[in-house]
Amino acid sequence: MPKTITIQNLHALLDRLIAVGTRVVGPRESGSMTLYEPLASGAELSLRDLPRRSAKEAFFPICESILSYSRVAGKTTVSDPDLSQLPPTLLVGARPCDTAAAPVLDAVFSWDYKDEFYLERRNRTTVLGLACTRCDDACFCTALGGAPDARAGSDLFLSPLSDGSFTLEALTEKGEEFLGAASDLLRSGSAAAPVPLAAPALPPFDLAKIKGWLDGHFEDPLWAEIAERCAGCGACAFLCPACHCFDIVDEGSESKGERRKYWDACGFSKFTLHASTHNPRDGQPARYRNRIMHKFKYYDDKFGQTLCTGCGRCVRACPVGIDIAAVLDEINNK
Amino acid sequence: MNQTMTPLVDPRIWDETTAALRAAAAKLLTDGTVAAVVGYVAGRRSGSAMPAIVSTAAEAETLIFSPSCTNNLSLYLTRSKKSIGARGKLAVMVKGCDLRALAGLISENQLQRDQVVILGLACPGVYAAAADRRQPLSAENIAGKCRECSVRTPENVDQLLGRLPELPPLEDSEAAELARLEALTPPERWGFWNGHFSRCIRCLACRQVCPFCFCEQCLCDRNRPQGVEGSPRPAGNTAWHIVRAMHLAGRCAGCAECESACPMEIPLNLLNRKMAQELKELYGYESGTEAQEKGPLTSYDEKDDQSFIK
Repeated sequence: MPKTITIQNLHALLDRLIAVGTRVVGPRESGSMTLYEPLASGAELSLRDLPRRSAKEAFFPICESILSYSRVAGKTTVSDPDLSQLPPTLLVGARPCDTAAAPVLDAVFSWDYKDEFYLERRNRTTVLGLACTRCDDACFCTALGGAPDARAGSDLFLSPLSDGSFTLEALTEKGEEFLGAASDLLRSGSAAAPVPLAAPALPPFDLAKIKGWLDGHFEDPLWAEIAERCAGCGACAFLCPACHCFDIVDEGSESKGERRKYWDACGFSKFTLHASTHNPRDGQPARYRNRIMHKFKYYDDKFGQTLCTGCGRCVRACPVGIDIAAVLDEINNK
Repeated sequence: MNQTMTPLVDPRIWDETTAALRAAAAKLLTDGTVAAVVGYVAGRRSGSAMPAIVSTAAEAETLIFSPSCTNNLSLYLTRSKKSIGARGKLAVMVKGCDLRALAGLISENQLQRDQVVILGLACPGVYAAAADRRQPLSAENIAGKCRECSVRTPENVDQLLGRLPELPPLEDSEAAELARLEALTPPERWGFWNGHFSRCIRCLACRQVCPFCFCEQCLCDRNRPQGVEGSPRPAGNTAWHIVRAMHLAGRCAGCAECESACPMEIPLNLLNRKMAQELKELYGYESGTEAQEKGPLTSYDEKDDQSFIK
C-alpha cells in the first residue's frame, strides 16, 4: 500500500525540518514568478508553476565564495570556507526535468577533479521530486527520454492526487530514512485518483541519430542559420538545469576579498577570449554550435549522458526565439 | 485559464501587413537593391516569432509581421553583428519604437542612412513578455511601452507597410508605475529595486539585446581593474543596472527590449524612462525618429544647467 500525505501534513513536515535547522529549498512565489528558494515555512511551498530558474542552484549556487583573504599590517591570511557548516538540505517539489539533471551533473563534478563545493551540497541534500501535471509548448522532456513522472535524481517522489494529497514513495536509502522520520504524518493508501500527468506534445527524438550527425558536422551552414540571430546573452545557460560552466574571479580590495565561483555561459563572447585577444569561437554561430555539441555530443562522448532534460526554460527565455527543440528536430530530420 | 480575450484590433491587419512586407522584401532582393532583409519569421511554438536574416525571394515568403514581433531589429545593424552587415546593403523591418533606435544609431555614426532600406511597419502594438501568444492582442496582454506609443505609424522610412486601424484608448501602465515609485520614500524605492536586482542572474540579456550596447569593451566585463563586480551578487547587480541606465541616458530610444529580454522580469524600462524624464527636464531632449547631430550628453552649451557645480 503506497503512503500518502496531505498538503497540510507536507507543510507540517517541512515546518518540522525547518525548525531543526534543515535548509528546505522549494518552489515559492518570489516577486512576479516562482523560484526555488529556501522556504521560511512549509506554507510558502507553491507547486503550481515550474520555477523560472532550475533546481541546480541547490548544489551549484549562482555565486559562492571558495576562498577569502585579508591583509592586515603586511600580514596576509587566507582561509577556505568551512564546508562542514553547510546545512542538511531538503530540495522539495523539484520537477522531473530538474531532478534528472542531478545525476548528469554528478558525472562532471566528480570526474577528474572532485568539486567539493558541489559534492558536499549534493551529499547533504535529499531530493523530493514531484510528478509534473502541467506543461506548455516549450516542454519536451518526453522527446528526450524523460517523463513527467521520471524518478531519476529523486530520493523520494510525490505524485499529486485528485483530492489535493500526494502519494509519497521512497526511492533510495536516504529517502527511506526520511520517510521513517515522517511516518506519523503519512497515511496508507488513498481512494483518490492520480492527477493526469503532463503530456508534452513533441514526439521523441532519435538521440543516437542526432549525435551521429553532430559527429560529422562541426562545420555546417546550419550553425550560422540558427545562431546568426543569437544575441549572445547567457539566459539559456543560466536557466538550464544542466549547464554547469562557471568562472572563478578574485574580487575585493588590497586589504580583503574573496575568490568567487559563479555561473558562466558559452554564449558570451568573452567565454573563450584569450589574453592574446584571439578568440577561437569567433561569432555566435560557433558559440551556439558549442552549446549543442556539448549537450548532445561531447557530454555523451565523455559520460554517455545528454546534457538536456527538455525543461524548455531556454526556449521560453531566449530573447531572440532560438528554440533548442526546433534545432534538434531539424537535425533529427536530416 | 485560456479564455479568449477581446481583440484590440481586427487580427487580419497583420496578414495584410505580412503580404505587403513579403512583396516588398522579395522585390528588394530580386532587383538587387539589398543583399538581405532583417525581419521576423514564425517560430515552432504556436504564435511565436523570431528575428531572421533572409536573402532570397523564396525566403522572403517566410517573413511575417504579428504582435509577437517584439524584437528591435536595429540590433542586427550594429557593429556587434558585423557578419550580417558584411553581406552588403540591408533592409530592415522596423516598428516606430525601433525606428527611434535606428535614428539614434545613425546619430552616433554607427550607420549611414543610405546604407539601409527602412521598411516601416504600421504597428498597433506587440505582446507583453508574459503574454500567451496564442491569444489575440488585447488591452490586457499588450506591452507596457505600446500603451502610450506615439509612433505607431513610423515616418521618414523608405517604405511604409500596412495600415493602422483605429485603436481604443489604453491606460498608461508604465507611467503610472513610475509615478507610484516616485511617490515612495527613498528607502521604499531602494527596497523595490533591491528586490529586483537581487534576482538578477547577470545573463546580460539586457545588454545584448540593446541596440546602443555596441561597445566592444563593456565596462562590466573589465577585470584589470574591475569596473563593476562581475559576480551575480546584489551589490554588483545594482551597480551594473545603474551604470547601464546612466550610460544609456540620452541615447536610449525606449524600445524596452532590455525589459522584455530579462528572464527575471526586472522592470528595466522604468529606469530608462526615469532617465528620459530627467533628460527632458534638463535639456529638453527627447529621442526621436530622425537622426540628430549631437546627443544631449555629447554636446556642451553655455546655457546648460550648471547648478550642480558647487
